[in-house]
Amino acid sequence: MTAEPHHHDLPVAARVRRLEERVIAAGLASDGELDETLARFYARATPVNGARLVARAWMDPRFRERLLADGSAAAAELGFGPQVSSYQLRVVANSAQRHNVIVCTLCSCYPVALLGPSPSWYKSLAYRSRTVREPRAVLSEFGLVVPEEVDIAVWDSTAETRYLVLPVRPDGTDGLAEDELVTLITRDGLIGTARV
Amino acid sequence: MHDVGGQTGFGPVPEIAGSQDGPPFHADWEARVYALAGVLGRRGLFNGDELRDAIESLPPERYLSASYYERWLEALEILVARKGVA
Amino acid sequence: MTLRPGTRVRASSADPDHHTRLPRYLRGQIGEIVYAGREWPLPDDVARGVAAPRAETVYTVRFAAARLWGTGRHTVLADLWESYLERADSEDGSEADDEAGSEDHGEDDGPQEER
Repeated sequence: MTAEPHHHDLPVAARVRRLEERVIAAGLASDGELDETLARFYARATPVNGARLVARAWMDPRFRERLLADGSAAAAELGFGPQVSSYQLRVVANSAQRHNVIVCTLCSCYPVALLGPSPSWYKSLAYRSRTVREPRAVLSEFGLVVPEEVDIAVWDSTAETRYLVLPVRPDGTDGLAEDELVTLITRDGLIGTARV
Repeated sequence: MHDVGGQTGFGPVPEIAGSQDGPPFHADWEARVYALAGVLGRRGLFNGDELRDAIESLPPERYLSASYYERWLEALEILVARKGVA
Repeated sequence: MTLRPGTRVRASSADPDHHTRLPRYLRGQIGEIVYAGREWPLPDDVARGVAAPRAETVYTVRFAAARLWGTGRHTVLADLWESYLERADSEDGSEADDEAGSEDHGEDDGPQEER
């Protein structure tokens, strides 16, 4: 055991350890299962997955239509079927007239497999409470200024219906290949707290 | 207390800077809580709605003062005790 | 009850003491059906361990910020189980309440019937 004072001396870390021990002793989990859960989480959940859906939609108008009509089915085309099988993925498109932003006011529902681990700010009481009420002010805290003439739609997610934003393709990217487009798209763009 | 949509007074959104590159967990124990929830959920000890319900059952002051994974930890402790398995 | 897109609805005013996915800020509010989605088990039942949870259509419903908060031009869209909703009479809301986006049933909203 390493002697990091901010870890093992915390009461909460001890509580976690006690719970783990109880659960393992009861045969409900093993250290191996716990480690494997974490390894899978780190390895498979990444915003590159969501970015791939967006890049494909930017390149292929018919895929874009399918993505907007049924995000889960379209995600499955790119091999993400198992990752989105427990919920309905909905993809909502930004445009010159509309900016979309995603929140889960009641908890923190989020398409982890497609966006990677959810950021702390997404789970914060401030984001959960304020985004439905004053989205422009919240977005400005992210450095995103949405012009007054652009409508904002705030989507309050559930565990069964999770959302991804389809950002507007930036100008000057016509010559880029799909792989290059993927690198332009950020996790925050897929949540709606950044333009792309 | 979990039903915070539209409530005012929570202040600026925290931890925005660097969030796209930072680690998903602030400390090892958070990752262990996440893993525990995953394994126990897959084992069928509880479903997602039961976990959310247990988190929501925290007394308001506890809900507001606990961190995100502390809420998960408390919920897991409640569920394990309630199901009487460990 | 199948609610078609464009139908005006009112969210339930009930304040249950059990787990539910109707947020407080939407209770009693008038909105408009944007999309009728799949059926899902009712979380209110699933959380309470009901043996056969009711499966209901989950609708995406649009609400105008001005009606929710008295101010704001944005819209809020939430996915609500059918039993959280009832049809609203036409006199429950004016025609001109949704300043932002009420006329916009285009692709930006996601799935559309004609697709």
